[in-house]
Amino acid sequence: MSKTRQLEPLFYPKSIAVIGATNKKDKIGHIIFSRLKHSGARLFPVHPKEAEIMGVPAYPDVAALPEKIDLAITTISADKTVSVIKACAAHGVKAAIIIASGFGEIGEEGKKLEEELKAIHDEYGLEILGPNTLGIFLPETGLDTIFVEHGDKALAGGGSIAFITQSGSVGTEALGVASNTGYGMRAFVGLGNKILLNETDFLEYFYEDKQVNCIAIYAESIDDGKVFLEKAKKIAKEKAIIVLKAGRSAAGQHAVSSHTGKLAGSDRVVNGAFHQYGIQRAFDEEEICDASKTLSMLPLPKGNRVAVITAAGGYGVMCTDYIEQKYPRAELKMAELNNKTREKISEINLSFASSHNPIDITASATDQMYVDTLDTVLSDSGVDIVICFVFFSPPGFSEDLIDLVAQRVKNSRKPIIVFTEFGPYTDGLLKKFYDRGVVGFSSIYRTVRAVRFLEERSRIVRNLGGNGND
Amino acid sequence: MIESWLKNIKHEGKPDEWEVKNLLKSIGIQVPKGFVINPKEEISPSQLTFPVVVKVCDSTILHKTEVGGVVLNVFEETYSEAVLSMQAKFPQSRILVEEMSSYSGIEFILGGLVDPTFGQAIMIGAGGILTELYKDVTFRLVPLEKEEALRMLRELTVSAVLQGYRGSQMDMEELAEIIVSIGDLIKKLGPHFSQLDINPLVYTKQGWTALDGMLVLN
Repeated sequence: MSKTRQLEPLFYPKSIAVIGATNKKDKIGHIIFSRLKHSGARLFPVHPKEAEIMGVPAYPDVAALPEKIDLAITTISADKTVSVIKACAAHGVKAAIIIASGFGEIGEEGKKLEEELKAIHDEYGLEILGPNTLGIFLPETGLDTIFVEHGDKALAGGGSIAFITQSGSVGTEALGVASNTGYGMRAFVGLGNKILLNETDFLEYFYEDKQVNCIAIYAESIDDGKVFLEKAKKIAKEKAIIVLKAGRSAAGQHAVSSHTGKLAGSDRVVNGAFHQYGIQRAFDEEEICDASKTLSMLPLPKGNRVAVITAAGGYGVMCTDYIEQKYPRAELKMAELNNKTREKISEINLSFASSHNPIDITASATDQMYVDTLDTVLSDSGVDIVICFVFFSPPGFSEDLIDLVAQRVKNSRKPIIVFTEFGPYTDGLLKKFYDRGVVGFSSIYRTVRAVRFLEERSRIVRNLGGNGND
Repeated sequence: MIESWLKNIKHEGKPDEWEVKNLLKSIGIQVPKGFVINPKEEISPSQLTFPVVVKVCDSTILHKTEVGGVVLNVFEETYSEAVLSMQAKFPQSRILVEEMSSYSGIEFILGGLVDPTFGQAIMIGAGGILTELYKDVTFRLVPLEKEEALRMLRELTVSAVLQGYRGSQMDMEELAEIIVSIGDLIKKLGPHFSQLDINPLVYTKQGWTALDGMLVLN
């Protein structure tokens, strides 16, 4: 069976049973049930005593459910979960999300419960996500089992990134922050203890999902490493894959006597293997969000020559330093503008502007000068990527620049990326950019790092002989 | 070929330097010209060009240099004495005699291991005794193709010496091919393979040469 069909009930359930749904506020079963009321699925709360939950008729146990159920979500404690899952499987439920913790992560006793769950899957074919997971959030339908704050309103607009995370908190907190400045998420999947469904399963699922063009994974462990890599290599021809592999301590389980073993020590093998199989690597929650946002929204550059447009000299200098830093896997260089471009920049701008890259149009410039300069730079065949420092404090600039830059981003085949800083308004401005399809960041470092992800991705696509996502 | 090589290892699972070098030679990797003397064996007259190096050849000794198991620059006059004193020091071990290789330029390390998550991997980088200090190394899983091996080499800080830095002449293409061969070898050794260090791997007039090799089998 294809992954899409197999996992369909998890993402697009027509009917959901919530075991643990309750009228008691601030219980997890209450929060999840109230969220699911927006999902459009038929809901069946299961409660031993209550006749209804939040106005929806309740059933005393799973066996009493009146129809076939696609998805069961359990919020009950670990010790009660196994028998409930067994009842679900017997009732023909296709998939289950187990929210509770208290399984393998606590030791032998919990591991035994996990073995029992696996046995139920083997017998009935019921798919299980978790346990110990926040579950799934799909902005498209409103299916949302995450019971903690996660910027869900800001993320509701959806997008093309699939975010798969072993740690629920890392996922929700990082996405919450990313959503402040705009983040286009297609789906969130919390893997939890991943006793059955793991990163490879969802990698395959989202490969088949045409709405996804970028897959971001936070993982502390990778099951079947080689299988994961082989699948990733196939997928990376078409879709960007970014993995944050946490836990970079010594890999040596057995005594290591060779230099090679000692040098591998930290996680250089992971680094090399990811690179070899077309996976891009992030090292913290901010980086994985920045990288996936960028890769999901921008076309890939045809080369690595970067032009920088700024209204403040200092930022241009810092940016140049970052661009010219050695970074073998995604080398960038400052573009050399041709004479025609430079003459035109001088014509457009005030006499004290600099037509050399980084192009400093000065704080005395206007919106019109800015976009005319941008158009000129975009048409230079020696430029592959443009970084726009958009400042709003100089009097000649207005918020109209957001739309003006957005038009260029929309019509350009070259990636344009924005950096802006404007005190307390910064995040709001970046969100406005995002809402108009523009990728922007609030630090030079993050902006150049995002550009490197684009360059690295375009190299990967070349190496794998794929066609990328543009 | 590998099966018979595995069968003929004197101490099962622990090939010594001579055996490892024979294996490397069999897959086309150059090693110094030499021969091995068994314990208590009469010293055979050397067919080699002096100077030579006299080494203890014993896989149970990890750091030969530190226990006085390597004598460099041995000329004809002192040859018998060098071998005899090595035999006296390591009466149970074989002795390896090799021509000294002359080379210029930096030393490389080429190694392999089994990663607990991803399996068999290969490493190339700056070698020699300071290899663990510089940590200028990069890994890939095996097997791999030449293009990937070349990408490994370009990632290294020392890659410049393979591309003519300060007039250096070291064959990058040939080194990439050696990486591929070692990758294939690791793959062929399959479940027997545990760890490999070829260090140093140097560039001589005759091409890339493995001056030392350590292989740990399961």
